[in-house]
Amino acid sequence: MRKPPVRLFSLGVGLVLAVVMAACGGSTGGAGATPTPKVIKVGLVTDTGTLADKSFNHLAGVGLANAASTGNICASLSCKGQLGIQGDVTESHANSDYIPNLQNYATRGYDLVIGVGFLMAESVGTVSGSFPNIHFAIIDGVGTDSKGTDLKHANVVGLLFKEQEAGALVGTIAGVLEKDNAGAKKKNTIGSIGGIKIPPVDHYIAGYQWAAKQVNPSIKTLNGYSNNFTDPTKCAGIAAQQIASGADIVFQVAGGCGNGALTEAGKDGVWSIGVDADQGAVDKSVIASALKRVDVATFSAIKDVKNNAFKGGVTLFGLANDGVGYQADNGTLPADVMTALTDMTSKIKSGSVTVPDTVP
Amino acid sequence: MAAATKRGARQEPPQIVKSLWGIGRALAVPLGSVLLAFAAGAVIVAVTGGDPFKAYQALACGGFGLFCFGGEPSVLQLANTLVFLTPLIMTGIAVALPFRAGMFNIGAEGQLIMGAVAAATVGIHLTGWPAWALLPLVLVSGALGGAMWGGIVGVLKATTGAHEVVTTIMLNFVAQWFLRFLIIGGPLQLPGGSSKSSPIASSAQLATLVPHDSRIFLGLPGAVYRAHTGLFIALAAAALFAFLLWRTTLGYEIRAVGQSQRAARYAGISVRRTLIVTMLIAGGFAGLAGAVQIAGVDHNLTDQYFTDTTGFDAIAVALLGFNSAVGIILSAILFGALHAGGSVMQSDAGVSGSLVYVLQALILFSIAANFLRSVKLRLPALGRGPTSPGAEAAAPAVTEPGLAADDKGTA
Repeated sequence: MRKPPVRLFSLGVGLVLAVVMAACGGSTGGAGATPTPKVIKVGLVTDTGTLADKSFNHLAGVGLANAASTGNICASLSCKGQLGIQGDVTESHANSDYIPNLQNYATRGYDLVIGVGFLMAESVGTVSGSFPNIHFAIIDGVGTDSKGTDLKHANVVGLLFKEQEAGALVGTIAGVLEKDNAGAKKKNTIGSIGGIKIPPVDHYIAGYQWAAKQVNPSIKTLNGYSNNFTDPTKCAGIAAQQIASGADIVFQVAGGCGNGALTEAGKDGVWSIGVDADQGAVDKSVIASALKRVDVATFSAIKDVKNNAFKGGVTLFGLANDGVGYQADNGTLPADVMTALTDMTSKIKSGSVTVPDTVP
Repeated sequence: MAAATKRGARQEPPQIVKSLWGIGRALAVPLGSVLLAFAAGAVIVAVTGGDPFKAYQALACGGFGLFCFGGEPSVLQLANTLVFLTPLIMTGIAVALPFRAGMFNIGAEGQLIMGAVAAATVGIHLTGWPAWALLPLVLVSGALGGAMWGGIVGVLKATTGAHEVVTTIMLNFVAQWFLRFLIIGGPLQLPGGSSKSSPIASSAQLATLVPHDSRIFLGLPGAVYRAHTGLFIALAAAALFAFLLWRTTLGYEIRAVGQSQRAARYAGISVRRTLIVTMLIAGGFAGLAGAVQIAGVDHNLTDQYFTDTTGFDAIAVALLGFNSAVGIILSAILFGALHAGGSVMQSDAGVSGSLVYVLQALILFSIAANFLRSVKLRLPALGRGPTSPGAEAAAPAVTEPGLAADDKGTA
């Protein structure tokens, strides 16, 4: 009803402000004010974990900051300006913010809008349908409808990871350490704790078990699911069971729940392996972490848009394109473990082995 | 002894409330609280290296579509605010009504979740039904689901004297974990491992204000505007709440019980029955909010309800709105705008959207501080009537009936 006057008024104020800002000279932190030669604008929407999650969202922010030379991401993370783009970030505080936050960037004509995490799959599916001329990327998912089916919008790229390859690296570490009888229990047994039995979780576990058996055929593997990604006590309980059954090393693939497994391992004096991001700081027992290089994937998606090479569909990130990896934590790995890792890495990269992605 | 004194003060008829002085005071406190909160927020932004003017400009843009300089479509911002304020009105009522009866309902969130669960269950399973039958059924089952959850609290309070603050908080957890069970490995989980349910039938969905299939509305595809007709349900609920409270016998009884259980009992009002009925109705409003969220925006049960705070924001909405229908609508608009504006504040002004939560807390804090002050001011002045509806509403929260009974026993 009272729309037109408001718009005129805000337009007037906007003009005044624009003049004032122009008079003041180029301000540094200005988000989208100066229409200089075409600067690629990228909007990142985190899930409720926010940039401070030390995991996916943080890494996506790092990828954006590496690419950006301006934008509000530079206030949170140090910008490296490698692609000279403008990078803006919005942290979601509730799941109900996903759609408005994605729309906010899409309506303002951003060149690429990135959603972090499979929890945003449906929101990205919905919003990308309304804005066919805007490019979208989603980390660890694809744009889906409310039933979870891929809508296959041409303007959406899903950035997926070969988690099994990261799992294989930490599985190699675990397998060799057990062969060396280096663990506390010396029962040649390792465990893994999954959150919910969904493909990304099982990819990790499948690679872990497979690689451990490759380097140590007689090893015994235990596996359990907490049906939960948030409650540390549940994962701690499963870890305690596995440790009681002789596991020297437990690998968590259960997000915040899994942190309970890491601390439980510390309490019981055995080793643990973190997931997705470097989890060495969570507990002293963490000897290594399986990494998803969300920063690499984010950067690569931005680079494609910048080079007019955006392609809808799915882009897979694995060892070959530095999309996954591992990180040694709280100490150094023995030489024979390093040799086995180099061997495993080159085999996977060359394609002479294919890591299975389903848990037998 | 102190409790007895306060009860005495509350028995005075609130005639002064209707005077201009009362209205002035009634507005002064919430407006003052909001202004104070915004002033403190500006200081926080400035101290942390941001620009408060820019932050509030972006907040106004995201919340009300005003002063949008970054190319944000104003109407879309308004539509987002409408989406967020709709459930706040109904849950605000769910908090305000028990307040009027002297109870503190912290359980609007749990009641909302149970309403959403009931509504979704019906909407998912009765797919063949026509919209004219299914949509009302979905809404009614949502209200019933919430009423059941609120009713448990009322019955416990009336029969065993269990403190409603404790029972509602506990029932929030039960509702949340029940939902977790349903959509993570439970009977409502969508196949494929995602933590959500199937969507409800399209005939169970509320229409959006801008038709979804309209190609372009104000330069954007119609589907981006999510504001839905549930807004009118919320406004109708507010009208119903006002009517119930001021124009019905039950409303009179609720207010009487809230002001003094002893006086109410003396007047022949069944306090137990009133407490139970109040919680049933309050839960019904919160459940309706959940049903409207499912039918209007979400269309399926998702893990968003694990972290949803609508039912808790509702406490602030009810307090700021002095437990009146108009006040609740106004403060729901404010809180809805804050929610919607927070994200724009971050993307445009680079100020963390978390500032919005600081503002909400500051608003609540200054109201609570004012509450205490007005109660304290009135303590020595025995026999003088309440000077503001806020104070009137505050008193029951301070003197909890169960505690008052204990006082009597030990005296």
